Amino acid sequence: MSVNISNRSFRPYTGEKARITRAYDYLILVLALFLFIGAFHLHFALTVGDWDFWVDWKDRQWWPLVTPLMGITFPAAVQAVMWEKFRLPMGATLCVTALLIGTWIARIFAYHYWNYFPINMVLPATMLPGALVLDAILMLSNSLTITAIFGGAAFALLFYPSNWPIIGMFHVPVEYGNAQLSIADLFGFEYIRTGMPEYLRIIERGTLRTYGQYATPLSAFCSALLCTLMYTLWWHIGKWFATVRYLNKI
Amino acid sequence: MATTSEQLPAFSETQSKIPWYVQDLPLYLKGFGILTVIYIGLRLYQGAFAISSGLDSSEPAFEEYWMRLFYIELSVLAIFVSGVWGYLWISRDRHLDTLDPKEEIRRYFTLTMWISIYTFAVYWAGSYFAEQDNSWHQVAIRDTPFTANHIIEFYFNFPLYVILGGCAWLYARTRLPLYAKGVSLPLTLAVFGPFMILVSVGFNEWGHTFWFREEFFAAPIHWGFVIGVWFALGVGGILLQGVTRLTELLDGLEEAP
Amino acid sequence: MKTLIIKCLMALGLVLSVYSFNVQPVMAHGEKALEPFIRMRTIQFYDVEWDKQKFNVNEQVSVSGKFHVAEDWPVSVPKPEASFLNISTPGPVLIRTERYLNGKPFMNSVALQPGGDYTFKIVLKGRLPGRYHIHPFFNLKDAGQVMGPGVWLEIAGASANFTNSVKTINGELVDMETYGLSNGILWHIFWGVLATAWLLWWVRRPLFIARYRMLQAGMEDELVTLNDRLIGKSILIGVPVLVLAANMMTVNQYPNTIPLQASLDQILPLSAQVNAGVVDVETLKAEYRIPNRAMMFTLKINNRSDKQIQIGEFSTANVHFLNKELHVPSQVGSESMTAPEGLSMDNTAPIQPGEQRTMTITATDALWESEKLDGLVRDADSRIGGLLFFYDEHLGERFISSITAAVIPKFN
Repeated sequence: MSVNISNRSFRPYTGEKARITRAYDYLILVLALFLFIGAFHLHFALTVGDWDFWVDWKDRQWWPLVTPLMGITFPAAVQAVMWEKFRLPMGATLCVTALLIGTWIARIFAYHYWNYFPINMVLPATMLPGALVLDAILMLSNSLTITAIFGGAAFALLFYPSNWPIIGMFHVPVEYGNAQLSIADLFGFEYIRTGMPEYLRIIERGTLRTYGQYATPLSAFCSALLCTLMYTLWWHIGKWFATVRYLNKI
Repeated sequence: MATTSEQLPAFSETQSKIPWYVQDLPLYLKGFGILTVIYIGLRLYQGAFAISSGLDSSEPAFEEYWMRLFYIELSVLAIFVSGVWGYLWISRDRHLDTLDPKEEIRRYFTLTMWISIYTFAVYWAGSYFAEQDNSWHQVAIRDTPFTANHIIEFYFNFPLYVILGGCAWLYARTRLPLYAKGVSLPLTLAVFGPFMILVSVGFNEWGHTFWFREEFFAAPIHWGFVIGVWFALGVGGILLQGVTRLTELLDGLEEAP
Repeated sequence: MKTLIIKCLMALGLVLSVYSFNVQPVMAHGEKALEPFIRMRTIQFYDVEWDKQKFNVNEQVSVSGKFHVAEDWPVSVPKPEASFLNISTPGPVLIRTERYLNGKPFMNSVALQPGGDYTFKIVLKGRLPGRYHIHPFFNLKDAGQVMGPGVWLEIAGASANFTNSVKTINGELVDMETYGLSNGILWHIFWGVLATAWLLWWVRRPLFIARYRMLQAGMEDELVTLNDRLIGKSILIGVPVLVLAANMMTVNQYPNTIPLQASLDQILPLSAQVNAGVVDVETLKAEYRIPNRAMMFTLKINNRSDKQIQIGEFSTANVHFLNKELHVPSQVGSESMTAPEGLSMDNTAPIQPGEQRTMTITATDALWESEKLDGLVRDADSRIGGLLFFYDEHLGERFISSITAAVIPKFN
């Protein structure tokens, strides 16, 4: 289903028609904002979840792998519609901004005001730099392949260095209870969580994980490869969901 | 939000300052306002009573403050769904073949408002109260499917957005020719997919009761919710259906200043 | 519109005010929902004590005690290869500053050995004033939370006065309550502003219908202008440069950082405190009489000590059934989980040194029901476990035996 408009006969809407289309824009923007806060946040909370909730889950092995991989999904799906149908290169930034709005509201009003956790213990990660680059690459290349390969990789590779300025200082060591802990670990020890015992953390698992202390770049490059594939997959998922079919029955 | 073609107002005679295509804007804003008050009210209720009476489901206070709220919620939702779905169906437009293009445009705007109200409810259910659930599990030990947050999240927020999504679906089906002639696949996906999240509550509670005792939020037991929410991407298709039809209608409309 | 919202808020306020007249704080934390066989046959707490129950914000309080890890560990519960000694609180109203197992400090999770005996101590510090019911407990991997006995703690003072300073290895003193918060917020605002600017750059012009029509008309080139492309290129170069520069500055600012620590502590059990080989007890039979709320054990006891002994207490899942004849001290600060006259026996004569005796003891109280321990008879695993405390004639020396048996219900 599409509308056939020839280049020569094209006339932009003016007057009331222009106002109608603009009103429609605003309605859609409000709709989309809440949709992506709600939908993307639920997806993210239940796939990345504790890695994003707690400072003592943000490790160098799993966190930079899981977060971009799960975080590139909705941006790819929304870009597929926003770019292909409207040439609007803002799908990724819109999704990640929406996610952060939802996350921050929850961290402040649920974790802090309701359940007394200090906010610095539950600071969310940011994927905004990667999202901006993803949108820019799509706009400049107008190519799914190039965006998937370079944009997907950039989304993953930029994740850890974007967040190190936020969480790096939580990795300063302290001597505590005859052990060396990072400040992040100490948050987990001191600020009591009844449902999050230490053994539940999925961090720093597996042998040969450091390869001579190069855990983070390895995770980031692994994530880059997976993000490239994930981006393509979710581009097509986005397109599939954006079907315009009408059925005879359900 | 439910004018039928028999009761069409004459647009030129309307005294309202609101443009004819967004006639339902006040109702839409009221909808936002009412929902905001309800959700913030429920959050305030949690703040007031969850720690004092919501930590143990075997205490009498839990029955009084939380299970009673649960029953009230179910009753309110039952009344609301029968009323609003019943109204939308009974007041359906039986003469869609003679629908004026301007009225059709207006109804597309109203449908968008319905979907917007639906996504606002999705926000509270999918974002705020969902992540808050993890926070509450760090305070209370899960001893019932009806925790102080589940009573609001699973048994009020989830059904409410399902009802509002159903309203959008019914509105389109009963008042817009294209949606009446065929069943819109993206609208159906965007409404029925997230509905499956409500169904996933059963799986979640079964798992937490029998084999998953830990409060690990990204656990596979929760992925039923995740798959359900992907269907919200159907909104992209609804947008495209709306844009193409509105373009056709606007092209046929006379120019106005 | 405004009136409507005000009306709704007023109605809500009315509902809340009616409710707020009479809220009795709860004393439990959902522990009763855990199957009785897990509560009775995994971690068996005893001698749990708090050094004080009223204190101020910033003041320390400690809880110490002992526990026996049941030998008869339930088949459906994974072995305690990873467990975490925790405190049930309604959020971090206290912080945990120290924790010891068998006198050794430990920061992570720990592997426990079935049949092992341990002592523990947790030091806490008041953070938020209020009255809270607090339990020490164990998170057992894939099994759930097994509670120790709870008490009420009253924290006085003002939350604003709470401080939590920690010294890093480099000697810097940091305040955990605010550490890294403003820095984190600033970075989020910085990227948020850039993202919002990018979104507004696009949103300010006609969007969906207008652009869709132009695209359909083949006017793709007009939809992305030279300025757009220029900004896109700036993002493509500027954002990674900014990210890497900020990252580099952070690396330079904090050169000595460590990864999250993820070890599992290994702390060996103490020498046997329970079943220490002095008083042997074999449970021949256990029968639960539902109408009487009475658990009757037939026990074969072998007193290998050189003292006369008597049974003073049977304890399971933090419920204490005391032999009223013996006046043994109550183990918990709260009386709510103690049946002071709950334990009776068919032969009250002391068991002589070297004597072997088969006898019946009965633990009777409504606590079986109110603590939902009687649910055992409807569980797939209906074995009971608990600790039996023997005392010498002067109540000076104590011998502890763990007992376990399948429970046979008597419905009438």
